[in-house]
Amino acid sequence: MPGRVEIRNIRKAYGSFLALDDVSLDIAPGEFLTLLGPSGSGKTTLLNVLAGFVRPDSGSITIDGAEFLLLPPHKRNLGMVFQNYALFPHMSVRRNVGYPLRLRGVSGAELDRRVEEALGLVQMAHLADRGVNALSGGQRQRVALARAIVFEPSILLMDEPLSALDKKLREHMQLELKRLHDRLGTTTVYVTHDQREALTLSDRIAVVNGGKIVQLGTPDEIYDRPKNKFVADFIGETRFLPVETGASGALLYGRPLRTRDDWKGATGEKPWLVIRPERLRWKGDESQTANRIEAETTDIIYQGDSYLITVRMPDGAELDLRRGPDLGGKDLPERGQPIQLWLDREHTILVADKS
Amino acid sequence: MHKSVKRGLITATAWAVLSTTAMAADTLTLAGLGGKVQEDLTATLFKPSAEKIGAELRTESHDGIAAVRVQVQSGAPGWDVAHLGAEDCAIGAAEGLFEPIDYSVVNGDGIPEGVRAKDWIATNTYSVVLAWRTDKYGDNPPKDWKDFWDVEKFPGRRALSVYPQEMMEIALLGDGVERDKVYPLDTKRSLAALEKIKPSVSVWWTSGAQSAQLLKDGEVDMEAIWGSRIAGVIADGAPVKFTYQDGVIGFGCVAILKGSKNVAAAQKLVANIVSPEIQARIPTMMGYYGPSNKKAFEAKQFSADVLTQSNASPENAAKQVTMQPTWWSENIQDVQEDFKNLIVQ
Amino acid sequence: MTMVLNHPGIADADHNADALKRQGSRERRVLASLTLPGAILIFLVLILPIGWLFWLSFFGPSGEPTLENYTRMLKPIYVRTFISTFEVAGLVTLVCVLLGYPVAYLLSQLSERTAGLLMIFVVLPFWTSVLVRTYAWLVLLQRTGLVNTWLIDAGVISTPLPLVHNMLGTVIGMVHVMLPFLILPLYASMRAIDSVYMRAAANCGATPSQAFRQVFLPMSLPGLAAGVALVFVLCLGFFVTPALLGGGRVAMWAMQIANNISVYGNWGAASALGVVLLVVTGIILYVFKRLFRVDSFEGVR
Repeated sequence: MPGRVEIRNIRKAYGSFLALDDVSLDIAPGEFLTLLGPSGSGKTTLLNVLAGFVRPDSGSITIDGAEFLLLPPHKRNLGMVFQNYALFPHMSVRRNVGYPLRLRGVSGAELDRRVEEALGLVQMAHLADRGVNALSGGQRQRVALARAIVFEPSILLMDEPLSALDKKLREHMQLELKRLHDRLGTTTVYVTHDQREALTLSDRIAVVNGGKIVQLGTPDEIYDRPKNKFVADFIGETRFLPVETGASGALLYGRPLRTRDDWKGATGEKPWLVIRPERLRWKGDESQTANRIEAETTDIIYQGDSYLITVRMPDGAELDLRRGPDLGGKDLPERGQPIQLWLDREHTILVADKS
Repeated sequence: MHKSVKRGLITATAWAVLSTTAMAADTLTLAGLGGKVQEDLTATLFKPSAEKIGAELRTESHDGIAAVRVQVQSGAPGWDVAHLGAEDCAIGAAEGLFEPIDYSVVNGDGIPEGVRAKDWIATNTYSVVLAWRTDKYGDNPPKDWKDFWDVEKFPGRRALSVYPQEMMEIALLGDGVERDKVYPLDTKRSLAALEKIKPSVSVWWTSGAQSAQLLKDGEVDMEAIWGSRIAGVIADGAPVKFTYQDGVIGFGCVAILKGSKNVAAAQKLVANIVSPEIQARIPTMMGYYGPSNKKAFEAKQFSADVLTQSNASPENAAKQVTMQPTWWSENIQDVQEDFKNLIVQ
Repeated sequence: MTMVLNHPGIADADHNADALKRQGSRERRVLASLTLPGAILIFLVLILPIGWLFWLSFFGPSGEPTLENYTRMLKPIYVRTFISTFEVAGLVTLVCVLLGYPVAYLLSQLSERTAGLLMIFVVLPFWTSVLVRTYAWLVLLQRTGLVNTWLIDAGVISTPLPLVHNMLGTVIGMVHVMLPFLILPLYASMRAIDSVYMRAAANCGATPSQAFRQVFLPMSLPGLAAGVALVFVLCLGFFVTPALLGGGRVAMWAMQIANNISVYGNWGAASALGVVLLVVTGIILYVFKRLFRVDSFEGVR
């Protein structure tokens, strides 16, 4: 299966600003890989290096073993979906989608057939003869996608393709993209700053920050086992609680804390407990003191599908928890009452301030 | 706006209002074609004439008969007197734009009959002359328009005006018509003659400045040019000479705009402008221009130099053809179109 | 509140409909009145005089209704001048496009700062009078002018080239005057073309020249059309430059209008010429617009 990408030691500096700091990354054939990061992290720059729009200072990219970095953009044979679609306004839907094929010398019935097929895949065949300006955002998105896949590239690049759509349509398109990827099996590199989108779509996620890949892994690895505070913070509704380390191990508010992995931080580094509010358990062994937090309920707000419960930690820090009506056999806590919360060892992750 | 500037303007406006009110009856406005010629005419003719009748003279400029027409048609012209080319005076008179000249006030003696009309009167003359580059023709220059038309004996690049006035006359002279037989113009013959010379005409000039430049830079070797324009070319040291032989004398003129509030004063102004005494200022003050009143040469003694230079001195006038503005006003429409058609072809 | 809402008479569908309609139309009237001063101005200084000229063109010198002002235009000189006017305008526009397009493209690809600086050179011709520029061209192009002198001194030619006092000189002079009018709107429209379209074309597999021809060029057409229309129409009214640089041989309609104003005692003669030029220009612009579908994708980013 073609589409194996090997990125090696890519560096790109703009003056003194290092946009890409020695980035290396392997992408497996057929993989859906997402570059996730805040704006300015270098994720788009990396995508543009792949597409050939940004010339890096050094490094290498091979695709299926062949050096790729020195090819001009038009010889790279990559499909790309741009953030604002970049559909050609002077061409109809059909001509937009057919454009890559015409450039490849495809014509006549073959051209028509493949354009119809690509438009069919994105459910846009019925609007083939519209002008692109007569389309809604979602429709443009589909046409852009059709144009990117029509010439059956081995690799598909997408630069925040859904960011211009409203929430509902975005979520719908995410599912469609996933289904399309499952069907075509094209190696896909997807750029987004939306962690939920990344978790939904990706086989693997590369979290990018400061021109580096700070963590590379499957969605559950990224979510449940963040390697550092940045990743933990960027993904999910994360809170951090201070943890002390002593001779007997980690302590949270004086109670022992059994963690998934031993704390291996360097001396002087302060460990933080990563709290995913939805991972806090309401039920636990009340005789056990480890991995238990004694908190106080300060507020309860009914929000229809759930309750928003604000609790105060022993050190005064406040935490919002969301719980469905079923509290696992427990009554709803009342305001001002103490509340006990447990952490599974499996989900007890310590991260250092920096990494 | 700056305060003091504003105050200054208000003061100036107040002054202007006061002074015009005080002297309203004695202020005459004369509009001419502008530029250096108007400055010279004002200093030579208009200003001294106004002083003589004790009137304040304001001068403005226009760009031809159309502007005068607009003034008259407005019902309350801002100008009392217009200075124009004589053909335009004749055209305007035919359209009824002017007050009649009161010949009980204006003494037209000495002014040629054709340019002493019911509604207008000539104020000055100019000549269209033959000029050439001495570096091209040396000791054997063209003497008249017949030579100008002789491209074998006098090879070289020629220039004529893009306007038919004077060019039609020149063409007839070049074709061998006697000076006193030029009018009424045989337009057919004239156009045929122009057709003959056309291949040698490298430029049809549009403005006086352009005609001067053509000769000065040697872009053409000989051309028909206003005498007044030659002065500057020769003064610049260009190897250029000209002759009054076969020149065409044209006229400037004045007319009083219909609807003027100062007709009586304007008549007096015109009377002075064309009087021999004032006219006699032209030969010395405006080289290459001449008085329209022949008596100017009797009113004053001129040096031989001045007489040689002035286009209207009896000796020079004798070599030239005098243009008939009335003929032009009657025929300009057709001639202009045929002439232009010939050039453009 | 509840009582009022539930009141059957008030819950009626037409309730307040008239008052709301009145409010709406009052709002529209207020908005319309804001454009009124401009509309009045345009009516007074543009529509009214043109209408008046149109009216005048059907009257002869003594005020009698006549078509003579129009039938006169069948004379060869008018026909010839008319054709040559559009020839000159067309030729100048063509040369402006050929020279101006690359310049506008270059400027649009530079940084705003550099482009701003270079733009000074584009608009520099605006800062000198047309007459001065025209005479400058005479000095450069005439037989004894700089260009011919250089060429002769360099041994390229032995006799001076006829660079001026003809159509060539006219076109050179007019192009010099008109070039900024083409470059400015074109540049503005090219600036508005997001560079992402060129990247998208490259990504589709277009070589730089294919991307330019198939994507950039078509997208710059509205700006080009605006510039072309502007230059073409302005050229139709040219007067001074062709008169001087054309050596009298290049006849322009505007000169003919000026001639008719001074030679004919009635405004109608010249008015008719103006009317014909206006109508033909209008037709050409309309055809041009239909042909190039100038507004087919304007406003698209």
